[in-house]
This record gives sequence, C-alpha cells and structure tokens, in this order.
Amino acid sequence: MSALKKEVIDLSGIENEKKQSIVGKRIPRSDAFEKSTGLARYTIDVKLPGMLVGKVLRSPHAHANILNIDKSKAEKIPGVEAVITAEDVPNRLFNGTFTIYKVSPERAKHEVEDRYILSKKARFVGDGIAAVAAIDEETAENALELIDVQYEKLPAVYDCIEAMNTDAPRIHDFAKNNIAKHISFPFAAGDVEQGFQQADYNIESTFKTSKQKHCQLELDSCVAKFDPQGRLTIWSPCCQIHLFRRRIAWLFGLKEGMVRVISNYVGGSFGGRSNFNAEPICIALAQKSGKPVKLEYTSEEDFIVHMSRQPFVQTGKIGVKKDGTITALQTKLVTNGGAYFETSGATTAVNMVLFMGLYRCPNMAGEGDVVYTNTPVSGGFRGYGNPQGTFVLEQIIDMAAEKIGMDPMAFRLKNHRRTGDPSWWPSIPLGSCALEECIRIGAERIGWEEKRSRKDTGTKKKGVGMAIMSHPSNVFPLFIEHSNASVNLNEDGSAFVSVGVSEAGQGSLVVLAQIAAEELGIHVEDVHMVTGDTDITPFDMGTYGSRTTYVLGNAVLSAARKAKIQLLAHAGKKLKVSADELDIKDRQIFVKGQPKKTIPVAEIARDTIYDHQGKGSNIIGTSSFNASNSAPTFQAAFVDLEVDTDTGVVNILKMVMAQDIGKTINPLGAEGQLEGSAAQGIGYALCEDFVVDSNSGRTLSDSLHTYRIPSSLDIPELEIILVEEKDPTGPFGAKGIGEAGSVAIAPAIANAIYNAIGVRVKELPMTPEKIFKAIKMASSQEGR
Amino acid sequence: MSKQIAKFNINGRPYEVLIEPQTILVDLLRDQLDLMGTRLNCGVGECGACTVLIDGKLNLACSRLAITATGKDILTIEGLAKGTTLHPIQKAFAEYGAIQCGFCTPGMILSAKALLDSNPNPTKKEVQEALAGNLCRCTGYLKIVDAVLAAADAMGKGGLA
Repeated sequence: MSALKKEVIDLSGIENEKKQSIVGKRIPRSDAFEKSTGLARYTIDVKLPGMLVGKVLRSPHAHANILNIDKSKAEKIPGVEAVITAEDVPNRLFNGTFTIYKVSPERAKHEVEDRYILSKKARFVGDGIAAVAAIDEETAENALELIDVQYEKLPAVYDCIEAMNTDAPRIHDFAKNNIAKHISFPFAAGDVEQGFQQADYNIESTFKTSKQKHCQLELDSCVAKFDPQGRLTIWSPCCQIHLFRRRIAWLFGLKEGMVRVISNYVGGSFGGRSNFNAEPICIALAQKSGKPVKLEYTSEEDFIVHMSRQPFVQTGKIGVKKDGTITALQTKLVTNGGAYFETSGATTAVNMVLFMGLYRCPNMAGEGDVVYTNTPVSGGFRGYGNPQGTFVLEQIIDMAAEKIGMDPMAFRLKNHRRTGDPSWWPSIPLGSCALEECIRIGAERIGWEEKRSRKDTGTKKKGVGMAIMSHPSNVFPLFIEHSNASVNLNEDGSAFVSVGVSEAGQGSLVVLAQIAAEELGIHVEDVHMVTGDTDITPFDMGTYGSRTTYVLGNAVLSAARKAKIQLLAHAGKKLKVSADELDIKDRQIFVKGQPKKTIPVAEIARDTIYDHQGKGSNIIGTSSFNASNSAPTFQAAFVDLEVDTDTGVVNILKMVMAQDIGKTINPLGAEGQLEGSAAQGIGYALCEDFVVDSNSGRTLSDSLHTYRIPSSLDIPELEIILVEEKDPTGPFGAKGIGEAGSVAIAPAIANAIYNAIGVRVKELPMTPEKIFKAIKMASSQEGR
Repeated sequence: MSKQIAKFNINGRPYEVLIEPQTILVDLLRDQLDLMGTRLNCGVGECGACTVLIDGKLNLACSRLAITATGKDILTIEGLAKGTTLHPIQKAFAEYGAIQCGFCTPGMILSAKALLDSNPNPTKKEVQEALAGNLCRCTGYLKIVDAVLAAADAMGKGGLA
C-alpha cells in the first residue's frame, strides 16, 4: 500500500500542557458505518405515505414577459392535485439567502430582495414559472406540458460588462444599467493615488474568473408536509436549519414555532445549501394540494437552477518599491450575479476584504458592482468570493515580484501580515498566524529554490508556483456568530450532545464528539451526537463560513465543562474531597495526585439521576457561545507542473499545502477537507467550465458530461502539512479550515504555468486551448 | 405496456417483483425495494453513484432496464457487510477517512470490489483507473485510493474478510 505522507508540526512548544488523549487523534467518523453500508438516509431518500411528486415548468427564454398562463388543461388531468403560478404563492419579494439575519439591521438593508417563489417575468433560461403536484412523475410531467404560457420575448444580455451599457436590456426595473448594488471596500485606508505615486512600479492587470458549479452528488430535493393543525415539516438538505426556518416562516406568513426543519445526512454542500433551493416551490405545492409533496430536481435542473460560484471580472493594481515594499493595493470588480441577487453582495464584499487582508499595505481601496445578467443565478461556493479575489491578488503579487527582480516567496515573506497585525477586520488584531512557517516548510517540501532555477529545453516545460491565502474561522463581527450546545449525561456515563449543525460530509460530528469527550474525560464512542432537526436541537447559525469547529466547538467545549463541574461536585461529596481536587480520565473520576482514589463517571451519573433521597438531577451542561474573534487561518500552496507546449495540456506533478490550523482536532478530517478542496481547486483552475450560450442563453454545461469535474485520474501527489500554532480563542487552539483549501490552488497553478511558459492566461478555467493560444500569441509577438 | 412478474436474486435473497418493461434497475431498487444505498444522480451513467454488481460484474443501475437483469445475482451495497461485520473495503474506507458526505461511497466501494475480485493486488494506478467512473466531490480521491490499497493488503493477508 502507499505510504501516507501526512504530517502535523506543532510550533507551540508547550510541554506541560495537559496531554490530550482524544483531541488530535485520527479517529474515524462516527457515520462511516451507515455511509459505507448504504444505510445513511438523505433528503432525496425521504418517502411519506400519500406523497405527491412536484415538478416545475421553467422558462425556455432567457428574458421574457409573461403575458398569460392558462393552467386549466393541466388541472383537468386525473391525478393532478395542484397547479400553481405566481398568483397562487405569497406575493412577496425575497432573497433566498439568510444573510439578512446574520448582519446588523443597518447592513441588512443592502441585501436586495428581488425574486418571487414563481417568477412573474422570466429572467434566465430555467426561471421557475409554474409548478405541478401530481400522484406520480409521469402525470406531473404530462401536466407541465399542458400549461400554456404566452411569453413576450425580450432582448437578453449575458455578459456582465455588456450588461452595464446604457442600451443593454434592463433585467430588473429598479436596477439602472443592471447594477444591483455598488459596494465599496469598507476599510479603505490612506490614499491609493498617493501610494501609487510613491511606488517605483505600478502593476495592473484584469482577470476573469468562472462560474464554478458545486456538483454535490446529492441533487437538490425537498419534502414538505402540513399537518392538520397547520404545522409545517420540511425535509431539506439545507445546512442552516434555524435561519432557514425563520426565512420560510416569514415567506409563508407562519410563526417560526409552526415550522420544523429536518436535515438528514446531506450529500455535499460546499456553500450550496446555504439558501433556498427546491423548498419554496415544494412548500407552496404542499400548501395548495393539502398533501405531502416531494420536489426533486433533475440533474439538468440542478445544474441550471441551483446557483453556482459568482464569476468576476476583476482588476488588481499594486504599487511596489524596488526594495519590495508595497505602497498601495487597489481592486475594482464586476460581479456577474446572474438573474437574481442572492449572495452576490456578500461575496463581493468578502472578496474585497480578504483581498486587502493578506498583506501589509498603507493605502488600500476597492470598488465593486454587482450586475444582473440573463444567466443562471450566482451564489456562494466554498471560499465565498475569496478564491476569485485571491486568484487576482496572488498573480499581481508574482508580477510585482518579477518586476523588481525579487523571488516571489521572499516578496511574500517580506509583506504578509503576521500575529498582532490587523486582521481582515482591521480593528481586531490577528491572535495567531503561522504563515511564515507554512511558507518556509512548503517551499522546502516542493523544492522551491532548486525548481525555480530549472531550465527546460524541448516542448514540455516545467514550472513551479506558489500562492498564499487567508480565510476566517467565522464571519465575526460582520455576522452574528452564535451557537448553542447541550451536553447531557446518560446514567451509564455516556453523553448525548445536541447541536444544530448539518452533516454534509465535513466531519463536524466526530470533531465535536472529540471535543466533548476530551473535556469530560470519557471515550469518543461514549458521545452520541444529536443534530439536524429544529425540534430537538438548540439554535445555531448553521454550517457555513468554516465556522463549526471554531464556534460550535467552543460552545460544545463550554457545555461539556459545565457538565463536568456538576459531575465533579457530586463526586466530591461522595469522595469527601473538594471538587477542585478532582479530575476525570478514561471514564474515571480521580483525586489529583492520588490516581488510585477513583469513582466511575457512570456511578455518579447514575446516582444523580436515580437519587433515592428525592434530590435527583440530570447532569446537563448547556452553553451559548458568541464568537468575539474570527481567528483567520492561513495557507501556503505550492505547485510543481509541466506544460506541454504542443497541446497546452497541464500535468501537475506535485502539490504541497502547508496549513496554519491552530490545533488539529482530527487530522483525518482536516486532511480530507484540504484534499477535497484541492481537487475542487484543480477543477476550478484547469477544466470546470460553466458555459452559457451567448445566442440563446441556454446553459450548455448542464451535466457531468458537459461540465467536467476532476476524477481519480486527475489528482496529483499532494503533500499536506498541518502547522499548529494554537489560536488563543479557538477550542484547544483550533481554527476552521473548511474553505481554506479551495482558495490558493488556482493562483498557485497560474503562477506555476507562468513560470513554465512565461505567459499568463488570465481567464479561468485555464484550459489547454487557452494555454495553447496564449503560447502561440506570445511566440508570434516575439517573432515580430 | 403490461406489467409482469420478474425474479431477481438480490444480496443473496430471492425477490419476485411486479415490473414494467421500461422500469430502470435503479428505480426498482430504490422505489420498489427500498434499497436506497444505490444512489441516483446523473441518471445517464456519468457519475457512478448507482454502481451495482450483476453476476459479479460492474453495472450502472441507472442505465440498465430491470428486465434485463431477471434471474441474475445482483449485489447492492446493502449486501456487502455480513451483519454488523463490515467487508474489508468498507472497513478501510472508514479507517482511512475515505468517506465524507457518503453519497458516492456505495458506488465507489462496489467498483473497488469489482476491481479487487479480478485483481487482488492492484497498483495505485490501477486503482485510480478502476475508480475513474465514480465521481466524488468531497474527498479528492486520495484517501479513497489509499483505502482500496489497504483493503487489498488486508484481504491478501486473509484478515478481516
């Protein structure tokens, strides 16, 4: 078998810390049995008695007024239980994300609410116009065909730059030049123009990023059921169940307590389950028909209707002195939001604040426009604007280094922010940052010095490149970062921990169980996680923003500590010692310094419940945790590759990711997050291409055949190094790395391609065709 | 067209089911027999989530009419473990962190089984090739490949199976 090249490097040097026996261990995930035997259940597997099948009629036109809809024929088909259009659903404009509840009321005003459950005007090919619920799929499909929609076709626009032209068709009445929102970098500093004047060189370049599709293996679906008292139960793969519940309640005019959201195992999210998908139409069908309804997207629908990563046209400008000092940074970007606003405002803002948050620089400014086009809706995807911005930033950093004749690694080492510097939210300093170590270790592992000086002859050119990145472990203080946990002791000394996280593959359940078990001194298999149901779990902001290990981890740690205090108080009485003389290890409560004086956790747990003196209590620790720090994580990524100049094909030889992680709770899970992100990063860089036809507005990449994601053959050797410098605010020092891995890969590949062939391909994905053309163009210019 | 009774041997158990000539195997398994471990995504043989073994051979249940599998031995993921004892491939997937969201896992494991049944000592490259028809969006495949190699090793030593 192959050797596992995995490593954890501890920089803390703290020897006397209490040895952790569970945190830091490669513990397999608790759901592995269910998932490997096919017993795990996802939303798409939900079946209810008497459940109807929902189907949606979608616009074939990219832009059209709807003059009339005749649904009478469809309604007459036997087995059709509901046919709905915009007239049958709440007449309420909404935004299907939950940002509005996360940010301050003042900031919430910037979230644009611009869509209805079923559209009154078609704004992209695939816009939902009408829907049917019927006894089976065939009947529902037949009914869809009998809905007669009269469209008045309108001119359409697909390119976000063209959409801003004064003569471009207007997609939403309120949005002049199709600009939905102008957003300025909120922490502008100094005077950029002066900064550029002070520079010896100014480098400016424009890049285009692509509309990457999440491609979660579980297609979107939803089951909705109203009970006779009007209480609504929804089965949904949504990963923010409490915010989802509030938004659905608002949209349908219900009280939150009248809505229950159940999220089973989720077949992949990557940010794509952070907003409404199939749910509003499904609920409207259940309401109209009075019966449970399941709405399952087809694979094609999932590609077109489920949002995909915002493409940006982004310019980055950097001023640099000959000694390598950065004097100014500026970015201007246009966000192609697609037909509706959704998360495009937030991702545009995140792009800018993280673009500006990586390097020390006195003069900074940024401006962004979110623009409507007649294309499928854009949304948040792992990294949330950061992969796009970092793709630009990390290339202009390389270009600046080249201009002054400095090694790009040395340039980064000179300029990157470090512990004590302002974070992306400048008033809050960085509490930890192991980026310097990440860069040095990563460079050593890829063989930076030797490979940068490599000289190729022949048609295959080798190149090595790097990029660094930063991403926070939650979105404080821009978002409320509030999580709750309860740790409940059973009478056998085991515990169940109730939390509102959704399990979409990220492995949070084992991480949280490890944290609880470590603190309680019991075994990880003694901890049972309860999750994914708003009726049985306490409030949580949900699964997004790399936050669960950090925010919910802190909540679980604190709840477990409270349970432990109760345990020790009861044990102290029994052992006739004060509670602070006690500790717990290996399911035994012991007197410190007298390891043989013990009493089992199970005995205390049982006796406090079954108390024959009539003073029984159940040991339960509860905690509400509100983050007051975003604990940004950092990474240095290195890529060694080969470009075939005859074909433009890139062959990645090796990648190294050195990750500043604070403290690793579970290396198996942490590596898995980084490896999976790296694969998505490779796809983003080289092959994933979402194509909208510029004549018809149809999405041409509407399947896994026409939109290629990496397979097992596309993954190179990957070395991951987890660099541990404990964050003072994280649970056991941990930070969140759910998104970190997807950010630096594409720019590192781009820089390596440049190192190989001396040409930059400034548009994602960097396909063989584009690379080949760039090589040809460069050589024809040289020849002139 | 008219329905008919069809016989299958699924996971070692005989089934008699009323099917239509156009019933797709994946729908039979999931909708009629509640064997939900066979997953469905693309429906046209691109993702491998619906992989099953028919008479030991790798098949995509989304692209095969149920009627063409009558009388045959079908192995779905539900039939791989013996009670609560996991097959070495399943065990390795758990231990090596080869599972994240788990949606591709059943198909991935059955593809690995088809490989190891015909080639008990595959190279890394052979494993990567054998799994190329099973897409995974979570793991980046590295831990999956490691798990299959570890399972081959364990099975070769006669342990676990």
